[in-house]
Amino acid sequence: MDMLTLSHVAKRFGEKQVLKDVTFSVPEHTVFGFVGKNGAEKPTAMKLILGLLAGDGGEITVNGMSVRYGNTPTNRFVGYLPDVPEFYSCMTPFEYLRFCGEISGMSSKEIRARSEELLCLVGLEHENRRIRGFSRGMKQRLGVAQALFGRPGLLICDEPTSALDPAGRRELLDILTDAKEQTTVVFSTHILSDVEHICDEAAFLHDGKIVLKGTIEELRTARKAAAMELEPEQPEDTRRLLSVFPYLKSTGKRNVLLEDEKHLPQILHFLADQNISVLRIERQETSLEELFMEVVGK
Amino acid sequence: MRAFLKKEWMELCRSGRLLVLLLIFLLFGIMNPALAKMTPWLMETLSDSLADTGLTVSKVTIDAMDSWVQFYKNIPAGMVIVILFCSSSFTGEYQKGTLIPVVTKGLSRRKILLAKGLSVSALWTVSYWLCFGITYGYNAYFWDNGIAEHLFFAGAMIWLYGIWVLAFLIFFSTVAAGSTQVLLGTGGVILGTYILSMFPKFADVLPAKLMDGMSLLQGVNVPGDYAGGLAAAVCMILLCLVLATVCFDRKVL
Repeated sequence: MDMLTLSHVAKRFGEKQVLKDVTFSVPEHTVFGFVGKNGAEKPTAMKLILGLLAGDGGEITVNGMSVRYGNTPTNRFVGYLPDVPEFYSCMTPFEYLRFCGEISGMSSKEIRARSEELLCLVGLEHENRRIRGFSRGMKQRLGVAQALFGRPGLLICDEPTSALDPAGRRELLDILTDAKEQTTVVFSTHILSDVEHICDEAAFLHDGKIVLKGTIEELRTARKAAAMELEPEQPEDTRRLLSVFPYLKSTGKRNVLLEDEKHLPQILHFLADQNISVLRIERQETSLEELFMEVVGK
Repeated sequence: MRAFLKKEWMELCRSGRLLVLLLIFLLFGIMNPALAKMTPWLMETLSDSLADTGLTVSKVTIDAMDSWVQFYKNIPAGMVIVILFCSSSFTGEYQKGTLIPVVTKGLSRRKILLAKGLSVSALWTVSYWLCFGITYGYNAYFWDNGIAEHLFFAGAMIWLYGIWVLAFLIFFSTVAAGSTQVLLGTGGVILGTYILSMFPKFADVLPAKLMDGMSLLQGVNVPGDYAGGLAAAVCMILLCLVLATVCFDRKVL
């Protein structure tokens, strides 16, 4: 079953049409990457899902129920981690989580157990300071704890890793991967390595539309065959290769690039016949980054 | 909603705002009778210099009424302080985005509105009656409150006027983006009704009438004269709350 579906969602700010036709769905128990460059209005789409903004068209459903602006009942299924989470600064993390639990009507025994469990998970179990003195990374951790607190069916994270140092980022990605067992995770990002690390599926938002979507494997194969890179030991061999095979491209001091794989045997023969020593022949990894560059037209 | 009320209470206590407000109103409460008590002594010390200018000071007699005059003079200042304190109750949360996790956890906006409304009213109620109580106590000790008529009715009218002001403050808080807009809106309404109430035609049917407590104390007015202002205030409070509910449901947080 799909935990979240968006169909033909549109949003306008005054004259500016920021989302034109956003359609995708997220199956249960997946980690879904919502990719777009800065300014692609990813947060707008997320706020529409949370009923924090009114849409101008299309339909959004969470767990089969449709989202409406204002007091949306679908928020009962959702945990949300804003990009810059802000909490009541006079409270300690434990007090804040208790507040969250009380809002969602949990029993006080359950609240205590869940708080301890989650504060441990995000590494804030020994923090008895008030939130006032917290760094952005610590707030981000507390943000994860509060978002997971009510065991939501859908966890929505807005750029969760952008403020974190490499270690914190790794930890957060691990937390999100673990959360997959219990919930469905949707997170927006422009960091493609994060998507490659932990996502099962992804959708690329560009120019107000979903330009590409699918599982990570599908996305990788969506691109045309990967190119090969050759690096002869001597620069003059590079020049010889370039003059004999006009379809090779020079990509550096010694490197040449072969875009069409079917010419490879020909080149290998030539290398063997001429006794040219080669440092490496490498198949280029299709990264999502190149794919992303391709779809955004750069 | 109890959780949200608890949070408001915790913020008030821990930020020290509650303490400051209570201290201010405590001070006001003590100042009213103290100023009245000091008036004869002040006059005496000034009498020499006044005599030089040709003014002679006869014996000054002070009673509870003078202290109540001070009270009614000072209470608008207290009200302004409460308004300043409460003006960022909503807008502060909009600007920091602290309501977003709360709303996305499914707490209904109406409960948030109600909890905030209750806490600002409670703040005013406690501060105001503290000030009133202290002035009343000292007056009873030094003089006799008996010379002031309808003392508690007049006191309750001022309290209701404060609630009326806060109702507008809450309404403006649900439409404004910043506390300046809230203050401008609320101030505008107070000023507007004040100016209108200068016309005798409107004077009796506007909430500004409720502030005229001295006329009651001195027996110039009777409680019945306040029916128009009272009804207007109650109607406007209800209207503000309905409008605030509608606007807050649509507010972009």
